[in-house]
Amino acid sequence: MSALRSIWRNTRRAIGGRRIFGVYVALVVVIILVAVFAKQIAPMDPYAANLSDAFQPPSAEHWFGTDKLGRDIASRIVYGTRISLTSAIILVLTISVVGSFLGVIAGHFGGLVDAVIMRISDMMISFPGIVLAIAVAGLLGASIRNAIIALAVVSWTKYARLARSLVLKIRHSDFVTAAELSGTRPGRLMRRYLLPSALPTLVITAATDIGTMMLELAGLSFLGFGAQPPQAEWGLMLNEGRAYLLDSPWLMIFPGAAISVTVIVFNLLGDALRDILDPRHAGQDEDVVELVPAPLS
Amino acid sequence: MQGIIVTRRGLLTASAAGAAVAGLGLAGCSSGSGSGGSSTELKFGCTNFSKESLDPSNQPNAAWACMRYGVGESLFKFDEHMVAQPQLSDTYTVDDEHTNWQFHIREGLMFSTGTEVTATKVAESLQHMYDKEGVEGSSSPSNFMKPASITPDDEARTVTIVTQTPYADLPAVLANPLFEILDIAGSENLAEKPIGTGPYAVSEFNSGQDVKLTRNEHYWNGEVPYESVDVIFIDDASSLTKSMALQSGDVDVTENITAMSDLEKLKDDPDYSVSQTISMRTGFSYLNAAEGRPLANKDLRTAICMAVDDATITGTTTGGLYSEGCSVVPSSLDFGYDQLTDATPHDVERAKKILDDAGIVDSDGDGFRELDGTKIDLDYVTYDSRNLSVMAEAVSTQLAEIGIQATVTKLDADTEWDRLVAGEYDMNSSNWMTAQEGDPYSYLANWYSKSDANYCGYRNDEYDSLYEQLETELDTEERKKIFVRLQQILIDDAAVLVHGYYNSNMCSNAKTVSGATVATADYYWITNAFKPVQ
Repeated sequence: MSALRSIWRNTRRAIGGRRIFGVYVALVVVIILVAVFAKQIAPMDPYAANLSDAFQPPSAEHWFGTDKLGRDIASRIVYGTRISLTSAIILVLTISVVGSFLGVIAGHFGGLVDAVIMRISDMMISFPGIVLAIAVAGLLGASIRNAIIALAVVSWTKYARLARSLVLKIRHSDFVTAAELSGTRPGRLMRRYLLPSALPTLVITAATDIGTMMLELAGLSFLGFGAQPPQAEWGLMLNEGRAYLLDSPWLMIFPGAAISVTVIVFNLLGDALRDILDPRHAGQDEDVVELVPAPLS
Repeated sequence: MQGIIVTRRGLLTASAAGAAVAGLGLAGCSSGSGSGGSSTELKFGCTNFSKESLDPSNQPNAAWACMRYGVGESLFKFDEHMVAQPQLSDTYTVDDEHTNWQFHIREGLMFSTGTEVTATKVAESLQHMYDKEGVEGSSSPSNFMKPASITPDDEARTVTIVTQTPYADLPAVLANPLFEILDIAGSENLAEKPIGTGPYAVSEFNSGQDVKLTRNEHYWNGEVPYESVDVIFIDDASSLTKSMALQSGDVDVTENITAMSDLEKLKDDPDYSVSQTISMRTGFSYLNAAEGRPLANKDLRTAICMAVDDATITGTTTGGLYSEGCSVVPSSLDFGYDQLTDATPHDVERAKKILDDAGIVDSDGDGFRELDGTKIDLDYVTYDSRNLSVMAEAVSTQLAEIGIQATVTKLDADTEWDRLVAGEYDMNSSNWMTAQEGDPYSYLANWYSKSDANYCGYRNDEYDSLYEQLETELDTEERKKIFVRLQQILIDDAAVLVHGYYNSNMCSNAKTVSGATVATADYYWITNAFKPVQ
């Protein structure tokens, strides 16, 4: 808890002096609000098809045009925020919590536990991530839930390795040794001393990962391994529009733009968050900053 | 281990680039421009309907693929009027009962390996289909011909087929790809490298990727223009990839571009040649009326047929690639379409009323109706071919309007076929060649309850008895009358959801290939008429 408090304190202090971070937060909040109030914002029902209105170009009535079944693309994009955002956040939360937990355990206990966790992680990263995800999604069947599972299976390793390396860095520090000598149990040691020092880096990684994961989920949906028709999901919408790229480019342009904007906003937020939580690396735009400072072994 | 060093601007650029990839880059998947225009190799782009096998006994798609690639040939071949003309058999005789048929095998025929085509080889090839029937394959040759015996006479070069029932035109039946003549004993791997008599022979079978063919040096029917053919699979519902591959030179010829706008563009461009046929194919969805399935309920089927607006689906959703119609047999064929009455014209309100009157109502208020207390959620299976999947989606949205939920599942062609044969579906979209032997006899077995090809559990006693009359009726006019009645029964029973009639096409690069026309019968794609432009 104290770790969270310190993050909050840092955040509040930082926002005070960093307007740009405030802007990014505001943009993220806007995206979240679009997802929450999709029903109020969307001009039409995203699933209401009117076949005779298919392939209408953007107009006052249909801001972003209509798709092959005459559905309003603007409304589908607004609703798509829900799926993309929630699935990306669920995914990042899952992999960061599970990965960090395993990483801290591996770093703290070392030996056999470390070897087992790390070798499993090695196996996972020896495959190209998206290919393995496609295999997993193919085995489980295509749905957005299975796409999340598939990406979780291949993505947790990053957090495990990161958390482990951060823990190893301080594992033999004096304060950790002191805590151990005074009889602190392993659980408390990890919670009270090891995790807090690893947390800022993990949070930064997680924040930056939201955009990446959103992109990968959209990629799986695009390839037919994620969301299924008639869901309003951006990757799927791209795929559906692909057939009509030459004649009805709006079918791809708007979902593509939605993905781009959202991913950029989350990446910028992650970037700004790093400046704050890891002030050693804060600086002007052209300053070189280090994302993953810790050695892996 | 090094840390990852990035600048903030770099990060921004990278994310913008990544997002752009998501937006547009994924769409391209371009493989770069191909050379195109080789006078020794033909690159043929097509949908892959049979990933696993080219063995005709495996499933109809395998038989068709083997013939379409120019590997297998039958004893007879359909001309543009769907009349069976001599091919491997040059003459035949038949007795008065139309049950004893003697086919003479053309002299000097050889398989692509140089092995002579003897009467025994022909008989073995035909027998192979029946040996595998119901054991390994789902091709069901018995739906087309039930032989009592197949007897070869190598001396006289004849094969005598005695059939269990009389056939009006057995040569037309034998023109079907199921009865293509392959060297069964001589083929080590019939599934991947069947040995036939066609202009080309399989040299490489790369499942799901391509099939490489080489010239059959022993071809009997004229010169084979290309040394090799690469049959490149382009599995893409949109056919945009096919169109782009043709324009970039990655392929010289491609079959069935299914977006009307792409087709129009190619037609307007003198560099490309577009060949189209009249509608021989019907796009429809099977309605699984097997006992225990929701669609066993006739009111539900009728409401579904009424709820769907075929005119808009064919005209707008498919861009006019299909023409609208209510019967399973295309209006362009001479089987009495104009004598039929559409019992289920598009009428959403009437469809709702039929459901309400039948007690199929939404009692739990979730927007979808229940049948006998269970929510209706129709398992709608489709695959990416000839606009079938987009039509299935369109149908499902229209069913939602009358409170019927239909969940569309898109599968590959093989899996879709397996699900159809196993009866594991409620609705299953298909596109069939309707007059496979010159008339729709075998095609209409789809709804004959005693046939193996009845995949939808439909049963109507009048239909069955009329269908059985066709087995013995040899008079063309009488047969036509029966066909009209059969069609009307299916319409009245709402036995099938007909979408419309599809025009096949073949598009080629006019600068590199000549003679790439589409045949009326959809069995022939690559022939030795495809020639390089000098």
